[in-house]
Amino acid sequence: MPNAAGPHDHEKEAFQPAAMVLAFLLPGAGHYALGEVRRAFLICAGVLGLFFGGILLGGIDSVDRKDDFIWFMGQSLVGPVAFGIDYLHQSQFKVVEPRTGVRRTAIPGESRGYSGEPVQGGSPPNTKSLGRVNELGTLFSTVAGMMNLLCIIDAASYRPRKRNRPGGVIGRLEAGR
Amino acid sequence: MTLLYALPALAWRPFIDPISLHEQWWALLPLLALGISVIYKAVRLPDQALRERAAREVLIMTIQIVAAMIALALASYLLVEVYRPIVR
Repeated sequence: MPNAAGPHDHEKEAFQPAAMVLAFLLPGAGHYALGEVRRAFLICAGVLGLFFGGILLGGIDSVDRKDDFIWFMGQSLVGPVAFGIDYLHQSQFKVVEPRTGVRRTAIPGESRGYSGEPVQGGSPPNTKSLGRVNELGTLFSTVAGMMNLLCIIDAASYRPRKRNRPGGVIGRLEAGR
Repeated sequence: MTLLYALPALAWRPFIDPISLHEQWWALLPLLALGISVIYKAVRLPDQALRERAAREVLIMTIQIVAAMIALALASYLLVEVYRPIVR
């Protein structure tokens, strides 16, 4: 009896936990480890391009775990890069209210002291992002995270397009077993 | 005084301050569509198509997304500005 399998199910999917973790750590790294170099390059360029494009548009204020937590949930899917940018934003750019300890963006005419306290005079470390530019900057970086989730799932449930087993680092490790 | 108001725009620091494109925000949507298309096609295209016609596929999907956004905007405009006054 001829095989009635369709064009997309002729190869069985295999769960690749290492590729999944690598894909989360750096966009495209999961596919690179599976030997899909071209895919890895495009994914890395696409995800990081969108993410940093969002920051270029909306400034560092478009990645804010404290003020825009729901959006940050999407942005965090880009991986440690998003957490690093947020840490930088919270610790190096925001000022800390001395009485309440609340972190906020410095207002115009205010600068940041050595221990993070607001100081009158000077210019703020960054400008608060508002309006359409803020919306688009946040949207770009959140879409980057959501698209990276697609790539993480694809790397985790890897289906070889041509090869019988994964190539790259993971393929060599599996062949050595 | 006018120069004083223009100073923050002149002192724009990339990746720190927001860019001043409040009036031209719509021009950024094709870039968003391009980014989405690059990632989606990188995941979906078979090996051979990825090697031979990735750029073409990305361009087609970008145009499709932008065209769909324009069509949705047009449909919303017609619904609110044309159809609603008629049925009111």
